[in-house]
Amino acid sequence: MTRVRLIAVILVLVGLLGFGRAATKAYAIDLGDILKVGGVAFLVSQYDDQIDSFITSALGEREAAAQGATKVVPILSLGGGGYVGAAQVVGNPENVQRVKAVIQVEGRFGSGRAQLLVPATTDKATGSPDRAKGVGVSAVVEFRI
Amino acid sequence: MGKRLKVPLAVGLGLLAALVAATALSSAAVSFRSAERDGARVAEVLIEDRVVIVVRTSAGGYTPLERAEIVANRLRGALSEEVTAEDVQAGPVASGHGVFVANRLIVAVYEPEAEAHGATPDALAKLWRDNILLALGLMPPEEEPAEESPAGAAPAEDAGPQEQTGSGPQVEGPPAAQETALATAAAAPPEPKAPDWTGTAQKWVPIFSLEREGVRIGFAQVAGPTGQVEKVKGVAQLRLDFRKIGRIYAYIPVSTISVTKLDRVQGVSVWALADVKVLNF
Repeated sequence: MTRVRLIAVILVLVGLLGFGRAATKAYAIDLGDILKVGGVAFLVSQYDDQIDSFITSALGEREAAAQGATKVVPILSLGGGGYVGAAQVVGNPENVQRVKAVIQVEGRFGSGRAQLLVPATTDKATGSPDRAKGVGVSAVVEFRI
Repeated sequence: MGKRLKVPLAVGLGLLAALVAATALSSAAVSFRSAERDGARVAEVLIEDRVVIVVRTSAGGYTPLERAEIVANRLRGALSEEVTAEDVQAGPVASGHGVFVANRLIVAVYEPEAEAHGATPDALAKLWRDNILLALGLMPPEEEPAEESPAGAAPAEDAGPQEQTGSGPQVEGPPAAQETALATAAAAPPEPKAPDWTGTAQKWVPIFSLEREGVRIGFAQVAGPTGQVEKVKGVAQLRLDFRKIGRIYAYIPVSTISVTKLDRVQGVSVWALADVKVLNF
């Protein structure tokens, strides 16, 4: 009887420890994601113009600059949620001006993956994105966070 | 036998002499070198003994000297054919201005470089254009007087007695360049025909890149005007490092698949990316 109690107590303790560990891990992942999303948003707001000039300048040196307006905006993941990077968009000046974000829709198929990049006039990744006409993506920026 | 050889030999020598003379007349000697101006290390591009362009800032991962070398090579190529004053132009490029010779971009001027000269990109591009024209013995175009002159821009381009570390002759800059720069600062640049970026046609093309982990076959969906999309053969992926905080993948729709020259198709952009991993290493 005593042995049975002892085993039950051990099992409960192990269970609690496991639950606590799982909970801590889940919390850590959430916190990391929050920090990453916040970090990307901060970096985009801080360096958007510099990144834009850097890309344009680098392409200009290779005689491959786009003849159009450019702008760096955050990439919002549809489904994944939050900011996942930045993109340089290119197009007609009046259309580029309206772009607030690039909405990324990612899908996987076997060992492949596909990314749809939609320059949008809103910076909310909900519902169907409002595509900015006459604008496309010129470059994708991955931040090291 | 001897008489038979004399005629073709004379003709051959005559042709060779004509070729040498034509080359000497048509192509101006272009060089570049490192120099020090106002206590800063800069790079200069020269035509014959005249400094026509002073590069003060790094851009696109290139140092001023590397940029000067690129500019000198482009200028050398453009000047290998006969050029007129109309062939040398300053005009806008994306986010800046550029100097063109025979419709070839020689150098692009962006805000950081212009700021380092105390000028606007427009004014600096025109100054460099005029310096090139003067060095070629051609007259810069007369334009409306500037309302605000780019302070400090023109004298910086005129080669004074500076410390020079590279090869090349000692120079004395063109005095007319300063006046020309002041006169051209506010003039409107010629507007190039803007490409139409509307995505009326789309197609999937391969992405080619030599800088990825493992082997991936990539594809990009490009969109743009029908005629332009038809020209696209692939998308070149260029990897750039922005300081230590970001990695940039630039996607350039090109009309030829080449790793040495990027023939961008204007008006076409990327709408979607897809890749398949075929090998890990």
